Amino acid sequence: MTMADNAELESFRRQWREEVESRTKPITAGTSQQTSSRTAAPHPRHFPPTRHEAFARKEDEDGEAVVPSSQSDLVQGVDGLSLARPDDEDAFQSRTPRTEPKSALEHFERAVEKEAEGNLGDSLQHYRKAYRLDAAVDKEYRNKHFAGAWKKTTQTATSKEPTKPTSDVKPDIVPTSKLITSFFSFPIPPAEPLFEGDPAPPCPIAHVPSEVIVEILRHVALTDPAAFCRMALVCKRFAYHFSHEQHIWKRICQGAKFGFKAMHYSFACDVHGNPEHRLEPLPRYTPFPTDIPVQLPSPLSSWSEVFHTFPRIRFTGIYISTVNYTRAGAASAYSNISWNSPIHIVTYYRYLRFYPDGTVIYLLTTVEPVDVVPHITKANVTAARATSRKQHQKSAQDSVTGPQDPVPPIALDALKRAQWGRWRLSKPESPTDSLEESGYSFPTKDKSTSTPDPRDLIIETEGIGAPKYIYVLHLALRSSTSRPVIAHPMAPNPSRNTKLVWKGYWSYDKLTDDWAEFGLKNDRAFVFRRVRGWGINY
Amino acid sequence: MADTSNQELTFTSSDGKNLQVPRDVAERSLLIKNMLDDLGDATEAIPIPNVTENVLTKVLEWCTHHRNDPPTTGDEDDSRRKTTDIEEWDQKFMQVDQEMLFEIILAANYLDIKPLLDIGCKTVANMIKGKSPEEIRKTFNIQNDFTPEEEDQIRRENEWAEE
Repeated sequence: MTMADNAELESFRRQWREEVESRTKPITAGTSQQTSSRTAAPHPRHFPPTRHEAFARKEDEDGEAVVPSSQSDLVQGVDGLSLARPDDEDAFQSRTPRTEPKSALEHFERAVEKEAEGNLGDSLQHYRKAYRLDAAVDKEYRNKHFAGAWKKTTQTATSKEPTKPTSDVKPDIVPTSKLITSFFSFPIPPAEPLFEGDPAPPCPIAHVPSEVIVEILRHVALTDPAAFCRMALVCKRFAYHFSHEQHIWKRICQGAKFGFKAMHYSFACDVHGNPEHRLEPLPRYTPFPTDIPVQLPSPLSSWSEVFHTFPRIRFTGIYISTVNYTRAGAASAYSNISWNSPIHIVTYYRYLRFYPDGTVIYLLTTVEPVDVVPHITKANVTAARATSRKQHQKSAQDSVTGPQDPVPPIALDALKRAQWGRWRLSKPESPTDSLEESGYSFPTKDKSTSTPDPRDLIIETEGIGAPKYIYVLHLALRSSTSRPVIAHPMAPNPSRNTKLVWKGYWSYDKLTDDWAEFGLKNDRAFVFRRVRGWGINY
Repeated sequence: MADTSNQELTFTSSDGKNLQVPRDVAERSLLIKNMLDDLGDATEAIPIPNVTENVLTKVLEWCTHHRNDPPTTGDEDDSRRKTTDIEEWDQKFMQVDQEMLFEIILAANYLDIKPLLDIGCKTVANMIKGKSPEEIRKTFNIQNDFTPEEEDQIRRENEWAEE
């Protein structure tokens, strides 16, 4: 963004600064300040003392921090990393308490706000959206704030924010586990009639005994654990069963669909995704086998806890790493003032989609998640790469367009560069089999600690262009909210193991046995996003 | 056993109607099977006190269609992998109103017909998946009995499971 008119820019900055200051007022001083700001309205140049301003701003930041910790932390997690929140594939899952901006102006305002917080990733998303909706949004923004109308809107915006934390921070009188246990004998309450006096609508599920309710819940849970979770919010009785039927959680943990049976602790295929054929198939390690009695791993006390804390790769969505970097652009020919030269902000994405058979699709592209994520499937990658090989002989549409869903050209183009790979988690140490069958010595092993971290994830992909290379990604599972949560000290840590942080990235030359390291300067963590329909046969 | 397979039994439903049932069909119900094993022969009508005639007819229709199914093993390890899969005939069979659906489930539970109970529960599970809590309440006419504070507390407790 370069602004041609410097004077205009100056005034814009001043306006913006004033806006930030004014926004801090209602938070620090509450309602009484509102009246004073109204009396101050005829003198808009009346700045508060600087020290007060800084203090107020700090307060504001604290106030702001309360809101994201409840929503964006768990949704996107990483500092500065951002994902398109409003247009994500699973709108039904996002329960963001704060209303999302809709108009270009709202996006712009949010962007300014995020930028002030130092959250560049989010800010960029909003700026881009704002400009896409309205190319002249910055003018609209300035007009709005020149007109002095900003006081009203920002006050309503900020007044919304503090109300949310106050209702949230209110101390819980009953601990949740006790609360849920108290739901034990509650019946399933039938709905009341729509109009008074009418017969109540039939509610046959209310007459079903517990054992059958549990059976139904078990089927729900094995279809989709998230649906099981939503059942807990339907009524008290379901909430009780949700947290007390630990055998259901045990089944999920042991299952192959969402549980640990599908985790690979040694590679299950070659780097191209083809299954490896062995004369004697090696016994596969699994942490919770079904054929022998299993124990809860020591620090954990329940199977639901195991399910959400034990290192686990998810197949129901995509892992995305968003990288923003800046690049100096050429200065305009008309102005040779160096500080006015544009800076390009480039965003690119790395995508990882895991499969239970041990394969993984790795994609590095500038194409945004909305455009490419729904199309990242094995079939589409195979098709896209097939067309890229015989590029000009055949038109892309002929060979690729499936009978059901044609892949848009932008996604198809990106998928041509997708790489096949294989993945494995690092096996937790067990005394029975200490022999690690790794084909080559892994460069980190001698550098860092020798004991494998069970949260470590190794991915090997094919090299680009030359078949003699293998790229090795060393990642580690982390939880989204590793930072201390300020707003909800009592709330448990949500969404465990949904983040993949980088530990190393190498290319390995199979012919010369050489390792070369890729720089990780721009590498941001991957964050998991659920994609509707993936890993669940609806 | 050859002489008992053609044997006809009489069931009396809770509303006092008599139904003639071939013995092998009746034995899809483990409750009946165990009872017959104990008694040897049942010459008198067997009362089924918890099930009305129309529900019993429906249940027996299922038992007749599945009379030659292999007996179920205790552990349904295979069925949990494709938990949403329901045979086409069973799917059609389960296309009934919700009251009948739960009546069938209750009868299958009482008569101890595990595969029928499974299909019934799967059918209900299919009605639940992909729905929000509010939509689930609407589907089954359930009232929300949480206070807003409780609902919020439970939601936060379960945030992690949203994936």
